Amino acid sequence: MAYRYHEYFEPSRPREAKGGIKAQSGRGGFGRSWWARRWIEVLEGFDLGARLGRGRSYARRGQVLSIDVEKGAVTARVQGSRARPYRVEIKVSTLGRSDWKKLTTALSGQPIFAAKLLAGQMPDNIEDVFRDAGLSLFPDKGADLETDCSCPDWSNPCKHIAAVYLLLGEEFDRDPFLVFKLRGVERGELVGLVGRQTAARSKAGGYEATLGSFSEQAPSHPPPEPLPADPDEFWGQENAEKEDAYGVARIPTISAALPKRLGSFPFWRGKESFIPALEEIYRKASPVGLDVFLGERQGSE
Amino acid sequence: MITLHAGESNGALVLWGEASGDDSVRSTSRRRGTKAPYASLHPFAASTGELTEALRKMLLGLKPAASPACHVTAWLPTRGDSPVPSSALIAEPPRSRAKAKLAPWTVAAYRFSTAEAVQLLCASIGKRMLAAGVIVGVDLAYWAEVLRFAGSMMARQQFLPGFTTDADEPRATWDPVFIGMDAERLAGLARRMPAAARALSEPDVAAPPERPSTAVLRQFVATLADYLVRTATSDASPPAACRRKNKLPFDSVHDSWLHALKSIDGVVEGDTADLAQLAAQVREWRRPIAVSVGSPFRLCFRLEEPEDTGRTEKASGDAWYVRYLLQPHDDPSLLIPVDEAWKAGGRKISALKRNGSNVREFLLSSLGQASGICPRITASLENAKPAGYPLDAAKAHQFLTEESIALEQAGYGVMLPAWWTRKGTKVRLAVRANVKSPKMQGGSGLSLETIVQFDWEVALGDRKLTLRELEALARMKAPLVRVRGQWVEMNAAEIQAAIDFWKKKGAEKATFRDIIQMALGTKDAPQGFDFNGVKATGWIGKLLKQLDGQVAFKELAPPKAFSGTLRPYQVRGYSWLSFLRQWGLGACLADDMGLGKTIQTLALTQRDWQTNGKRPVLLVCPTSVVNNWQKEAARFTPGLPVLVHHGAGRKRGAAFEKEAGRHAIVVSSYGLLQRDVKFLREVPWSGIVLDEAQNIKNPETRQARAARSLEADYRIALTGTPVENNVGDLWSIMEFLNPGFLGSQSEFKRNFFVPIQAERDPSAAERLKRVTGPFILRRLKTDRSIISDLPEKLEMKVFCSLTKEQASLYAAVLKETEETLESAEGIQRRGLVLGTLSKLKQVCNHPAQFLGDNSGIAARSGKLSRLTEMLEEVLEVGDRALVFSQFAEMGHILRRHVQETFGREALFLHGGVPKRQRDRMVERFQDEGDGPQIFILSLKAGGTGLNLTSANHVFHFDRWWNPAVENQATDRVFRIGQARNVQVHKFICAGTLEEKIDGMIERKKEVAEKVIGADEGWLTALSNDDLREVLALSKEAVGA
Repeated sequence: MAYRYHEYFEPSRPREAKGGIKAQSGRGGFGRSWWARRWIEVLEGFDLGARLGRGRSYARRGQVLSIDVEKGAVTARVQGSRARPYRVEIKVSTLGRSDWKKLTTALSGQPIFAAKLLAGQMPDNIEDVFRDAGLSLFPDKGADLETDCSCPDWSNPCKHIAAVYLLLGEEFDRDPFLVFKLRGVERGELVGLVGRQTAARSKAGGYEATLGSFSEQAPSHPPPEPLPADPDEFWGQENAEKEDAYGVARIPTISAALPKRLGSFPFWRGKESFIPALEEIYRKASPVGLDVFLGERQGSE
Repeated sequence: MITLHAGESNGALVLWGEASGDDSVRSTSRRRGTKAPYASLHPFAASTGELTEALRKMLLGLKPAASPACHVTAWLPTRGDSPVPSSALIAEPPRSRAKAKLAPWTVAAYRFSTAEAVQLLCASIGKRMLAAGVIVGVDLAYWAEVLRFAGSMMARQQFLPGFTTDADEPRATWDPVFIGMDAERLAGLARRMPAAARALSEPDVAAPPERPSTAVLRQFVATLADYLVRTATSDASPPAACRRKNKLPFDSVHDSWLHALKSIDGVVEGDTADLAQLAAQVREWRRPIAVSVGSPFRLCFRLEEPEDTGRTEKASGDAWYVRYLLQPHDDPSLLIPVDEAWKAGGRKISALKRNGSNVREFLLSSLGQASGICPRITASLENAKPAGYPLDAAKAHQFLTEESIALEQAGYGVMLPAWWTRKGTKVRLAVRANVKSPKMQGGSGLSLETIVQFDWEVALGDRKLTLRELEALARMKAPLVRVRGQWVEMNAAEIQAAIDFWKKKGAEKATFRDIIQMALGTKDAPQGFDFNGVKATGWIGKLLKQLDGQVAFKELAPPKAFSGTLRPYQVRGYSWLSFLRQWGLGACLADDMGLGKTIQTLALTQRDWQTNGKRPVLLVCPTSVVNNWQKEAARFTPGLPVLVHHGAGRKRGAAFEKEAGRHAIVVSSYGLLQRDVKFLREVPWSGIVLDEAQNIKNPETRQARAARSLEADYRIALTGTPVENNVGDLWSIMEFLNPGFLGSQSEFKRNFFVPIQAERDPSAAERLKRVTGPFILRRLKTDRSIISDLPEKLEMKVFCSLTKEQASLYAAVLKETEETLESAEGIQRRGLVLGTLSKLKQVCNHPAQFLGDNSGIAARSGKLSRLTEMLEEVLEVGDRALVFSQFAEMGHILRRHVQETFGREALFLHGGVPKRQRDRMVERFQDEGDGPQIFILSLKAGGTGLNLTSANHVFHFDRWWNPAVENQATDRVFRIGQARNVQVHKFICAGTLEEKIDGMIERKKEVAEKVIGADEGWLTALSNDDLREVLALSKEAVGA
């Protein structure tokens, strides 16, 4: 049992975790967006002392194995010093239906709210809207937040909770809707509510509200196309090359613009950093594409 | 002959083919096939063996054994009980007049892996033929285009990593993202998909495929993109199977996914829960793109410049504006400022209400996403109805150089002012060289290596800048400044460098070659400045202007000893050659066929011989025209000794050097150029002339390398194909002519080839034209100034060589005749003579015709090689030609050869063609815009009565020893309605009876028609000795 004893009293050296969620933020700290920072401020309000620093290093080293976000609740597994990962729960009290009604009415008053939210950003003065409605977007540490961890540490929040909390904050950068989810409403529901009301207000212009009508797949299933029996039509004419049939095949100066537009991956757990790894693939792929376009790629090897 | 087809079936490319019925033996055996379950055997589909053979001929290194041969069902238009062939090259369409219906046919096929498909399609890009007798079908050509589209999207990085659980095993994928213009391009490509590209099904399917072209196309582009990205990145990531064996577990499903994205098979490992989570996360990550992909519009950003005040200024304050516009995908010409979208009941708004989509939502989410790229957009969203945002010059510059590129890559439309190019403003600070011409020392002693002095000037556009002006610009401290109405991009460092330049008054030195390259814009300016040409006075100025075509060069009188008459445009061509030759600059004379490139070159050679110390010129040409050059030289420059360096008995090494020194012209072939280059290099050539210079278009070939390695005072390339249109081929020829002018091969690729071919950059095309233009002279026979110089009918004799095989057959026939001639008399002798004449003519035409054994065609007849070369030019420039032969068998051979070589239909009219079909042929040849360009006729069937005025070339492949009959045939094209000049090419095998009889006719021309009569009987009246002399084979016949 000496081994265990030793381990218990050096709690800052957890077991090595593989494939955990690693913080993508640099030294600067967690959360670039104001809403992520606001979230983390709540944690910092607990006055964790050294546990906050350990939590940071846990988050950076990938000790957090998984995070599940549900409406009003987060469950996570964190690799600590014991063989079995600890279970962390963060509960956030959700807002009621009538609260959300009130909020969305206020939010749809200005298009900027809808635009920002649709674009995946938190409108700057959204907290004012919550405050005006007598509510708060971010949980109050005392009243709205309940945390629990299966570790033997008696202090709460412990470093494990802190690590999960920080990683959540980082995820908020990418997806502000997670904040709303924790407060009890999913992205689709919120967009629906805000959008419908925004659209209703502009009904004078005759717009129909079909928020969320776009999907990534081809818009609809095209109808079957029977083959023509007429020989000329069937074999087709020789196609004179259309002016802009392929677009300009140019290797872009900035690699991986599309992934960069989408930003970091949700709760990335890979060993390599996500965007730099993709960037390298894109950089290699571009010249191959150009060669193919020019018909200069003869061999498959 | 085989036409290759490719159809999509179950996500793979399936290759099948139609084979033409030329080979009667094969086709009958194929007809008797076993009955397939649903579809009967296609009567003229290529067999597995024929497909394999076609692939082998393409030399792609494809091993079809790897992809199993199979049978698939092709659903094809069918009349009566036969499928309708894809083109007349394969078979005559079935006679049945019935309306075609769709019917299933079983065809042999290869199901290709994506790797093989990419290889095949890559080889098929822009090709009509893949090898002799292997034709690219419309569907295969289509898929090659699709590959280009996939390649273009990949180059532009329009793809995202994905994940699918639809396959047998969960896979990481690379998915093309069709946003913005790519969505339109995809739709356009889908509309152009020939039905044949999606007409295949598995053998056991009883109904024709009806999968919409969009779906078929989308899937195949995705397959290609996935494969291509993978091959580009698979740095030997082992596939899942071997990883499993070696137990390389991943720490997380994300590691597994990232690894799979780079591996060849793409399989992702992980437990079900992990994989489900991954799928959800990928979806979540890619969600923002979904809005753009699904929308019928595109959001565009237009940078608008401040109003012009007419002063030099940087336009103070936020005078610039970025305007938001909406562009519907299905009507890109419609650009709607977004104010309209915000306005209730805007006029154009009805155009935006389609697919039930909400404009406002689209706008808001697009603007929101774009604000991540361009922060100023965020600020504009504070406004209730954002329509754009104002910005200052520095921000406008940032928009031009950075944000616009990022926005474009993210799929937004970007419209920039016309004065902006990818490399900056059109007008920029530049330097130019101010050259003072040294004194002419009696016109001689000047060459490309002459050192001249110059100094630098700083200029903006055409205008020289003073120091004060430069300093004024420096004070503005703005990246974009409007100078005299034109925006100019500049930075402080650049202006400072310009000021330093300005102050540095010391004269610089450069060779005249450098000055020319500066003037052409192919030299890099110091310190990264733009070169703004060369300002020169005196003779250098004049010379540069002459090169540029701004000032005419002096027209020279043809040299005295030249015994031909040059037409006015030929005098110009000759003078141009002399002008460039004088400076040691290489010239490419690319006049249309028949305009007399030979005669212009010979005139120059004559002049050079007299002025350049009687040193020889090396003339390299295809073997088929060695004789022709010899004949033409004898005719036009009889005073110049000609050495034909050809054949086994040719001199080598020092003996050759000595021999060459005694001649003015040494004629040799491309084959010997590379074989004998070692001692050819030792001769102090006055000049090198490459005839049919497209033979060195590939710079890697040994003949191209050999040509470049020869030293000479001047170089000339002759070609009848429009070289200037083929960017890829230009480098090799220019590098031969003027080494270094286009930079190294890789520089050329980077500076010209890729920008022109891949980016369609008009400024690169313009630059290339400026650099090469001075050295290429191409006149068309349709040019106004040329037409007036040309007679209506231009008759030319084309002297050809015999191949070794032809020569030995010829000798054998002669020997046989020899033995019986002495004893023969009367009607028997007459028969013998006519028979021999006919046999020898057949040998001259083609061994296969003489032997009548249906043997191979290529490379066995000098005449046919020459005809092929000439027809290639005819086809290239879109002309039409008649080819006459008096032998129907030769007609068949010609037709087969032309079709197999060029993959284009050739008509063939002979005595056995019924009238209705004949009329149809004439109609097609005369009237169809894209109808057959080559019409082969037997002299008897086609010599009279027909009206074939759409042809402007007439080839007499063999001769009818009666000018009247020939002329009558030629006159087919001279019927009323002939608007163009016509070229008549009479083919003659040098050193054979053809040349002798031609000579006899020429000598007796005035009395010919009376003496010779209507047939060839007059030849039988010759004495045995005369006859022997006529028939004899001289040594030069095989070009030696």
